[in-house]
Amino acid sequence: MTAPALSNKALADAVENLPQNALSPTRQAALAQFLERGFPTTRLEDWKYTNLDEIVDISRRWLENGAPLPATAALEDRIAEVRASIDADWLVVANGRIADGVLDAAIPGITIKALSELPEGPDFGRPLADLNAALLSDGLHISFSREAQQKRPLGLLIIDSAESDPGVSQIRIVIDVASDAQAQLIEYHTSTGKAGHYSNSVIDCTLAKGASAQYVRVQNRDLQHSQTQRTGVQLAAQSVLRYCGFDLGGQLIRNDLDIDIAGSEADAAINGLYVAGEGQHIDNHVRVDHRTGPARSAQEYRGILGGRCRCVWNGKAIVHEGADGTDAEQGNHNLLLTEGAEIDAKPELEIYADDVKCSHGTTVGQLDEAALFYLRTRGLDRQEATRALTRAFGATIVSRLPIASLAESLTAMVESRLRELSGGEA
Amino acid sequence: MLEINNLCVSIGDTPILNGLSLSIDAGEVHAIMGPNGSGKSTLAQVIAGHDDYVVTSGTVTYKGNDLLDLEPEQRAREGIFLGFQYPVEIPGVNNAYLLKAAVNAGRKHRGQDEVDAFEFLKIAREKMAQLDMDPKFLNRGVNEGFSGGEKKRNEILQMAMLEPELAILDETDSGLDIDALKVVAQGINSLRSSERAIVLVTHYQRLLDYVEPDFVHVLSEGKILRSGDKSLALELEDKGYDWIRKAASA
Repeated sequence: MTAPALSNKALADAVENLPQNALSPTRQAALAQFLERGFPTTRLEDWKYTNLDEIVDISRRWLENGAPLPATAALEDRIAEVRASIDADWLVVANGRIADGVLDAAIPGITIKALSELPEGPDFGRPLADLNAALLSDGLHISFSREAQQKRPLGLLIIDSAESDPGVSQIRIVIDVASDAQAQLIEYHTSTGKAGHYSNSVIDCTLAKGASAQYVRVQNRDLQHSQTQRTGVQLAAQSVLRYCGFDLGGQLIRNDLDIDIAGSEADAAINGLYVAGEGQHIDNHVRVDHRTGPARSAQEYRGILGGRCRCVWNGKAIVHEGADGTDAEQGNHNLLLTEGAEIDAKPELEIYADDVKCSHGTTVGQLDEAALFYLRTRGLDRQEATRALTRAFGATIVSRLPIASLAESLTAMVESRLRELSGGEA
Repeated sequence: MLEINNLCVSIGDTPILNGLSLSIDAGEVHAIMGPNGSGKSTLAQVIAGHDDYVVTSGTVTYKGNDLLDLEPEQRAREGIFLGFQYPVEIPGVNNAYLLKAAVNAGRKHRGQDEVDAFEFLKIAREKMAQLDMDPKFLNRGVNEGFSGGEKKRNEILQMAMLEPELAILDETDSGLDIDALKVVAQGINSLRSSERAIVLVTHYQRLLDYVEPDFVHVLSEGKILRSGDKSLALELEDKGYDWIRKAASA
């Protein structure tokens, strides 16, 4: 099945109808590029396992309705829930719009601006970034200076609603961490409403020399909503990235995480956990470019799959010419709880330097029957024993959360999702 | 308490137990001895409810009910404990979590209130001290990275916490040095009571120097060849298993 293409006119009208600001010229240029290429299709190697028809269809219906902007009143309850469960300085982007008050937030050492206030428009050049730049009402630019001393992480709450009609939103956030500065961030994606929704995020993060970022991403959308996201992180010399991503919700989810190691002695640890149940499709593409050495990257993604679902993990490490002294590790481990769960796991290594240490490993397995029996002989029923083993499998990633204050709430979220998963099977 | 009658068990197409009968009452300590491959561990696993083993005929009655009808967790909650010959390592499942979940599963089944975290820790620490175990073990993954001896102690700790009515200890003495053996034996002896039955499955007589059995059974080729008192174990130690096989076939 191929979804009918978007109407070029409806898309051009939607771009035209956005509030005019400094981004308008970029929108037109990005629109022209998007119209030329359209959405990526499964004919492209990088999109082989992820068919975007569902997203094209939501976008088409949204455009046919005149690309409406839903009211954000319905989101208040959900926003309050997130604020109550995670202690952070929250900046809210609701239905793709920067919420009131965000640009006035006063956090010492952190500067928050609208992208439309900056001299240069947002980057584009990849199909989904083109769409993002074309339909972007506005985005955020966040800079962490050396004076930033956070008592709690900065929270980016990306929230959408599609109560009765399909919705589409574009999110763009640019993050700069200055030389020797430290940043703690949590990005939280959620949504409500019964209609279909498609959210398209582009995040660009730059770590200057000696900077460090502790970065947590949580995607916890309602199960009928879809998302594509491209996150780029560029690491200058001696910078440190501690990244941990969680995909717990969503129907069709595609993440592209591109780590660019541009300076020597940079160090990136990238961890991810995806939990997928009935009807979910979660695709993680992680690419690490080692452009210089010595530098280190370590990647581990784990997946817990139940019901009929499909997940994709593609980890690519490219060690460019001259990047001697590179140490790159990648691992992907999957626990399949049901016969209908499917994983496509693909590690890729391209090495063009001589003195490098690279490793990769991928595993796909079921629950350990011996462990299950052992727990049952202690009085735990099958469901409880399954849950304990499943939780243990994910705990490896949770234990690497770079922001300790988030451990309790993240553990609770993962457990609640695992409970839904095991409840659904019974 | 436990009545095994003419039990035949296979794994795949291979018969392992061939008409085994045994009766165990509360207050008794039984030792089941026998050479490798005689079916000792199979008997232990069948009583615990492992579904790799197929009961082809015979019955097992526990406290008057058909045991074979029950799931492993139901057997555990009804007071059956199996100390594993090879305790399973379960990284990421914390020892304290398992102990507490296990204790509470039994309490819930008996209609008792669950123990709270404070009370649980107090009891667990006491029992660990008796078994000469570092309280740090509570926060480690179940058997994760434990030495052979630590694993066996951990089994005895679980037994001490669960206070089972019928404890089957499968080769609990194997892999223990003499000091560890004494600690483990002490742990077992402290649980001897008129309400509890203990079955020691063992290859050697060594453990029986420290835990004196009331009855000794010799198993060979899936059947009990001979039963007696503790002197049978000494005789076996002296003359070897061949002696009893020959004596039985004579």
